[in-house]
Amino acid sequence: MGRWLAPAAYLTGIGWYFATCIILGVALGHWADGRTGLEPIFTLLGALAGLGLALYGGVRMLISFLARYGGGDQGESRR
Amino acid sequence: MKKVVIGVIAAVAVIGWLGIGLLIARGPQPEVILPAEIITRVGPLNISNTLITAWMSMAFLIVLSLVATRGMRLLPSGVQNFVEAVIEFLLDQVEQVAGTVNGRRFFAAVATFFLFIIVSNWMGLLPIFNAIGKTEDVGAEIFHEIVLHAEEGKPFEEDEHFSAWFMENAGGFAITKPGGEAVEFEIPAGTSAGEALDRYIVFLAESFTDFERHGGEEHGAPTAEEVRAALEALEADPEAPKLLLAEVGEEGEHADAEAEGGHGEAGHGVESPALGVVVAGVDFPGQKLALVIPVFRSTFSDVNNTFALGICSFILVEFWGLQSLGLGYLRKFFNFSNPVLTFVGFLELISEFIRIVSFAFRLFGNIFAGEVLILMLTYLMPFLLVDIIYGLELFVGFIQAAVFALLTLVFAVMAVEHHDEEHEGEHTSEQHAASHGGLAHT
Repeated sequence: MGRWLAPAAYLTGIGWYFATCIILGVALGHWADGRTGLEPIFTLLGALAGLGLALYGGVRMLISFLARYGGGDQGESRR
Repeated sequence: MKKVVIGVIAAVAVIGWLGIGLLIARGPQPEVILPAEIITRVGPLNISNTLITAWMSMAFLIVLSLVATRGMRLLPSGVQNFVEAVIEFLLDQVEQVAGTVNGRRFFAAVATFFLFIIVSNWMGLLPIFNAIGKTEDVGAEIFHEIVLHAEEGKPFEEDEHFSAWFMENAGGFAITKPGGEAVEFEIPAGTSAGEALDRYIVFLAESFTDFERHGGEEHGAPTAEEVRAALEALEADPEAPKLLLAEVGEEGEHADAEAEGGHGEAGHGVESPALGVVVAGVDFPGQKLALVIPVFRSTFSDVNNTFALGICSFILVEFWGLQSLGLGYLRKFFNFSNPVLTFVGFLELISEFIRIVSFAFRLFGNIFAGEVLILMLTYLMPFLLVDIIYGLELFVGFIQAAVFALLTLVFAVMAVEHHDEEHEGEHTSEQHAASHGGLAHT
C-alpha cells in the first residue's frame, strides 16, 4: 500500500490544484466583470491568469514529484 | 446448467433485494441543503450539526487513545495492538516521504489530520446521520417570510425556494420516515408580499386537496378566481390547512386568530389582493409541511470545516518553513534581485494561498457529493445500489484523509527543503557560469 499511496495522493493534489486555479481565476474575473460591466474581458483575463498559475504551479509540483518518486529510469531499474 | 441455475438465483436475489428495498426501506425524497444547519445557539456562537459531529470525532479519538494507552504492555494486545498498528503504519508512510528526522517532526500533525478526517468521514456513514433531527415548520416559515416582506413593503428581491415533506409533527424531534415525497414552493423575484400570499394559498390547495389550476401557466401568478377557488377547496376539507382571516384594521380579529392557536403573527397580517382580506396566519390541523433538520451530519460536508482544516495545514507548513530556514524562507516569495524572480515569488505566494482553497474544496466536494449520492440512491434504489456506494464511500473517506495528510506532508517537506534546492540551483548556475567563463578564456 505504501508504494502507491503517497504518489497517488500527490498526483490527486496536483489535479485539484489545476482545477482550483482555473475556477478561481474565472470566478474572480466574472465578479470583476459584474462590478465593471466590461463582460467578458475580466472573465477571459481571469481564465488566462488561472491557467498560467495552474501551469506554473503544476509544473513545479510535477518536477518536485519526479525528483521525489523518480522518473522513467528509476522505474525501469526497479523492474 | 449449473451456471444457469446460479445465474437465475443471483438475478432473483438482486431483484428481490431491490423489491424489498423499494417496498419497505425507501428513503424520503432528499432535500439537499448546502450550508450546515444551525441546531442551537450558545451566546453569539452558532452550534451547527457538522460542529457537533466534529466534537464527536474528537471525543472518539480522545477516548480511544485513553483506552489504548491505559495499562500499556510490552507485548500489545486488543485496543493497544490496534492503535499501535495504525500509528506504525502512519509513521512508516510519513518517514518514507519525509525521511526519519523530518518525518518524526511532522508526524504528530500529519497523523492528527489523517485520523480526524478518516474518523469523521467514516462516522458520517453511520445510519443515524442525516436521519434523526428536529423538525422545522416550513409551513409557518413561508408565512413568516411573506409577513416580513409585507411589513417592509418590499417585493421579494431574489427567488425564494422552499421544500418540505408532509409530516404529522412540526417543532419536535423526529426520525426520517421512508417514502416521503417532497413538495416545493417558489416565490419568484419581484413578487410582492400580497401576490406571494396568493401563490401560497393556491400552493396549499394544490398540495393538500384535489384542487387543480385550470389553464394558464403552471408557475405563473394565479388569477383572482383561482385563489378564491383554492380558498374554497381548503375550507371544504377539514384536514387541509386553514387561513386565519382578519378584517383590515380590526385588532380584535387578530387577537382571535392568535387565540385559535394558529401560526399567526401577533398584530400583523398580509392582505391578499385576490381575496381582499387580511390573512393573519395559517393553521395546519392535519398534516404539516416540515423538514427534518439532521442533528448529525458528516463533518466535512460543511465547507467551513474543510476551510478551517486547510488553514491549519497552511499555518503549519509556513511555521515549519520559517522554523527550518528562518527569515530566509520568505525569500521564496519576496525576491527582488531581478524582475523574473520577483514575478516567480509572486506566483509562489498566490500558489500558497490557492492550496488552502484546493484543500478545502477537494475534501468538501468529495464528502458532500458522497452524502448526496447516498441520500439520492436511498430514495431511488434502496438496498441494491446504496450497498455498493457505501463501499465506495468507505474507500473515498480513506483516500481523502490520506490525500489531505500526505499533501500537507509533501508541502511541508517542500517548504523546509526549498532553500537547499535553491542553493543547489545557484551553485550549479555558478559552476555553469564559471565553466563558460573558463571556456571563454581558453
